[in-house]
Amino acid sequence: MDRSLFRANARLEKARLAVVLGDVEAGRREMQQSQHDAAGARDCWIAVGLDAQIRPQSSHPVIVAGRELALWRGETGPAKVWDDQCPHRGMRLSFGFVRDGTLRCLYHGWGYGEDGRCVSIPAHPELAPPKTICAGAHAVATKYGIIWSNLSAARAATVPEIPAVTDWRPVRSLYIHRSAAVVLAGIAAFDYGAPAEPATPAADVYVVTLGAQTQLLLALQPVEANKTGVHIASSGVDATADRLALVRQMHSLRDAIEAGTGPSR
Amino acid sequence: MALKLYDYTLSGSCYKVRLLLGFLELTYTREQVDFYPGRRHKSLDFLAINPLGQLPVLEDGDLRLRDAQAILCHLANKYDKTGKWLPRDPATFGTVMMWLMFAGGEIMAASAARLHDLLGYDLDIAAARNSAHAAFRILDDHLALREIAGAQWIAGDHPTVADVACYPYVALAGDGGIGHEDYPALRNWLRVFRTIPHFDPMSGIPEFA
Repeated sequence: MDRSLFRANARLEKARLAVVLGDVEAGRREMQQSQHDAAGARDCWIAVGLDAQIRPQSSHPVIVAGRELALWRGETGPAKVWDDQCPHRGMRLSFGFVRDGTLRCLYHGWGYGEDGRCVSIPAHPELAPPKTICAGAHAVATKYGIIWSNLSAARAATVPEIPAVTDWRPVRSLYIHRSAAVVLAGIAAFDYGAPAEPATPAADVYVVTLGAQTQLLLALQPVEANKTGVHIASSGVDATADRLALVRQMHSLRDAIEAGTGPSR
Repeated sequence: MALKLYDYTLSGSCYKVRLLLGFLELTYTREQVDFYPGRRHKSLDFLAINPLGQLPVLEDGDLRLRDAQAILCHLANKYDKTGKWLPRDPATFGTVMMWLMFAGGEIMAASAARLHDLLGYDLDIAAARNSAHAAFRILDDHLALREIAGAQWIAGDHPTVADVACYPYVALAGDGGIGHEDYPALRNWLRVFRTIPHFDPMSGIPEFA
């Protein structure tokens, strides 16, 4: 787990407490420091969801290494990953709603454009919001039908390259009550019902090749010390019946890992 | 026809009934019962109306019914001329009943967690949240498979009493400290539900989809 993210989370909690206690200035300071801490996160791309699952005009809660993020999409265009806090009062932006390409906070309706800048404060319609009011936006990439985010400020790393296949289709996001290490071991040990050739093109990314036609891509999202998300895409599984069977098999994978029963179909 | 609902505004179970009354565009009178802090649902007067001491209760003329799920079925059976809310076709009926029972059973763990957090009920909150999460996972698994099959409702190609019965305590789960982070299919179903014509929000459920 990433220490800087834990520090950032602790700051965020302090910020919210300060706001509740009425010290808005202290809350703002803690929030800025929290964003600063989070920027020191490990420079890597983490899968945070399936692209198809994030519908237009919606906002969703996601947790990466204990840090609360809002994953949202405007009427069109790619998904965005922001810190899950409105700069105004710390309300979770994943509770928000989308209007005209802006994410609106549910609390007072403050609207934020795609770059994170505040563009609208409904209580003061005549006011042009200061440029300093800005939601914490993170780098996002959409590849293999999976949304990836890099929470670090460095951003030298690239999204893992998965060779050969291009027609990835979304399968399922699993959330497993085990650590990333246990989940990886469980993925490796699982009986997929065909000879499996595993590969790990990057840390926390697992590719299973089943025969000549089928590939599974499993990308891990560390949630908490004891919880891990797995975002799964497939290649070569197209008939609806086959895709349903695959989703059921992935549910069994999750259940097997949590049961700790080792290899199982 | 005179419909009267014994109601408590913050109750998710009463909300189930209010939702379907709205979807069916039925007019009704409400008698507000002081559930908290008055505990009037446990008063002798109210026990004469429902010996279980629970809300909601619906009166339809001389008929008096308790249990949100039973009330949903009664309303759909009597007033929905399209037959869609309570499908009778053999391919759908059993599935609708199964998830209706799930709404009155397993999902109620989320209601318990909410009573603990909102109204200070003395109960094992960790156990309640764990049970609610287990139930949400089962519904999320089902809805994920439905998505793959090109469907968006719990059963069939339109909303039914099963969706109405499951919706409130899933949507209100945050009140009980239960997040939606782990349930992507559930989240999309919650959003679609709010687009049903005549949908009404309640405290804790945003009006905006």
